[in-house]
Amino acid sequence: MKSISELTDFYYKTLYPTLEKLEDDRKHLRYRITVVGIFYTFVVLLMGFGFLDYLQSIPNLFFVLGFIYVGVGAFIYKFLIKDYTKEFKNKIIDPLIHAIDDKLSYISEMHISKDYFNRSELFTQSPDRISGNDFVSGEIDGVKIEFSDLHAEKKHKNSKNKDTWETIFQGLFIVSEFNKHFKGKTVILPDTAQSTFGDLIGNWLQSNNFGRSELVKMDDINFEKEFVVYSTDQIEARYILSHSLMKRLLAFKKKSQHPVYISFIGESIYMAIYYSKDLFEPSVFRSLLNYKIAMEYVKTLHLALGIVEELKLNQKLWSKR
Amino acid sequence: MSVFLIVIAIIAVILVLMYNSLVSKKNQVENIFASVDTVLKKRYDLIPNLVSSVGKYMQHEKSLLEEVTKLRADANKPNISDEQKIAFDAKVSSALGSIMVAVENYPELKANENVMHLQHSLGEIEEQISAARRTYNQAVTDYNNAIEMIPTNFMASAMNYQRKEVFEIVESERQNVNVKELFN
Repeated sequence: MKSISELTDFYYKTLYPTLEKLEDDRKHLRYRITVVGIFYTFVVLLMGFGFLDYLQSIPNLFFVLGFIYVGVGAFIYKFLIKDYTKEFKNKIIDPLIHAIDDKLSYISEMHISKDYFNRSELFTQSPDRISGNDFVSGEIDGVKIEFSDLHAEKKHKNSKNKDTWETIFQGLFIVSEFNKHFKGKTVILPDTAQSTFGDLIGNWLQSNNFGRSELVKMDDINFEKEFVVYSTDQIEARYILSHSLMKRLLAFKKKSQHPVYISFIGESIYMAIYYSKDLFEPSVFRSLLNYKIAMEYVKTLHLALGIVEELKLNQKLWSKR
Repeated sequence: MSVFLIVIAIIAVILVLMYNSLVSKKNQVENIFASVDTVLKKRYDLIPNLVSSVGKYMQHEKSLLEEVTKLRADANKPNISDEQKIAFDAKVSSALGSIMVAVENYPELKANENVMHLQHSLGEIEEQISAARRTYNQAVTDYNNAIEMIPTNFMASAMNYQRKEVFEIVESERQNVNVKELFN
């Protein structure tokens, strides 16, 4: 697999002509958005003052107006950047993915299925709405892998009986084949209890976590600090989490710089990396040639597809070949 | 009077909870040792096959092979204690390790399909044993902690619970980062 620096080279060299063209589009788009934005704000204000007498009868006037203003505004914004986004994904993200491995397939409108999300058991709440995009699937080094940007939400009713959506997870969701046989379910979560409440109380809270299986205490102090492990089978959890895999997962967590959720269920490894934003979207207000922006695309892709090498998923157990 | 009764009741509940937690820790240890035993047996079952496959070639390591065979026979005797099983496991691990190192000196053995198969099976079983050992050690640590820490230590000494031994984790196993040898 290509390294990050090779991919960065590819981004700035091979994709440069396309980037330049897209930069022009972006500048035009930014101008258009600013003009439309000012005009739109002006119209809303004008209408607001025009119907002031009538509007005063509505309770929570400012709240309702603000809500409509933001909602319609977001809709207009999405409509304006639609073509640009499509162009960006086809001409930048798609070639980047194929530069990593040309047998990978990329579909920008699809996402990981809800089934996979539920099967992973990473989050105890089951989502009512799943959205996402940038679905990548294929094989790396003979190991099946797929991932996408994912946003899972749950519906709640608030006190006024209105629907509100709570985010269960937003970020990168990866599913891949695992290189060992196992039957049970092992779930690894970021350790929030132990780091917030200290060892004694944190441990007690963890072992009394209803909705999760048995707590597994791991024999790697650094790993135990970062993660908490639940499993249906104490021995199998340790069979999966060998000392070397624990070290690699720790390194992965460090590299990703985001909360990482991992589970091992039904011969697969599921990983959810929490970004709390939509990934692989084109930047509108900052240059695509900006190093930071470019690195974000390259690094995220490299992180997702790099798990095969990083976690040595390609070193299959001999009886699994 | 009623205050006195409540205090007695609370003390009784605490005692019962302590008693139950100790029993469950002891049972957990026994339970997991049974699993350890199963995987250890799996490895012992491979030994005769291994000895017969490599015996023809390994003239200089005859004593090593005899030792392994003897260890297997001893370990499979009935009525040996858990501590003895743990001791046998350590000896078998190191003896098998030496045999595997010795195999490297015989090109015809390294290429032999049967030996290769055995090596891989042993590698996989080693990983399972390692997982079982680590689980056992954690259970024993929990148990040992309970019988030595206040307040459960009073209850434990009344119940005559003794400290249990853990498996020594072999240094090579701690750094089993070299997966190549296990997988290739």
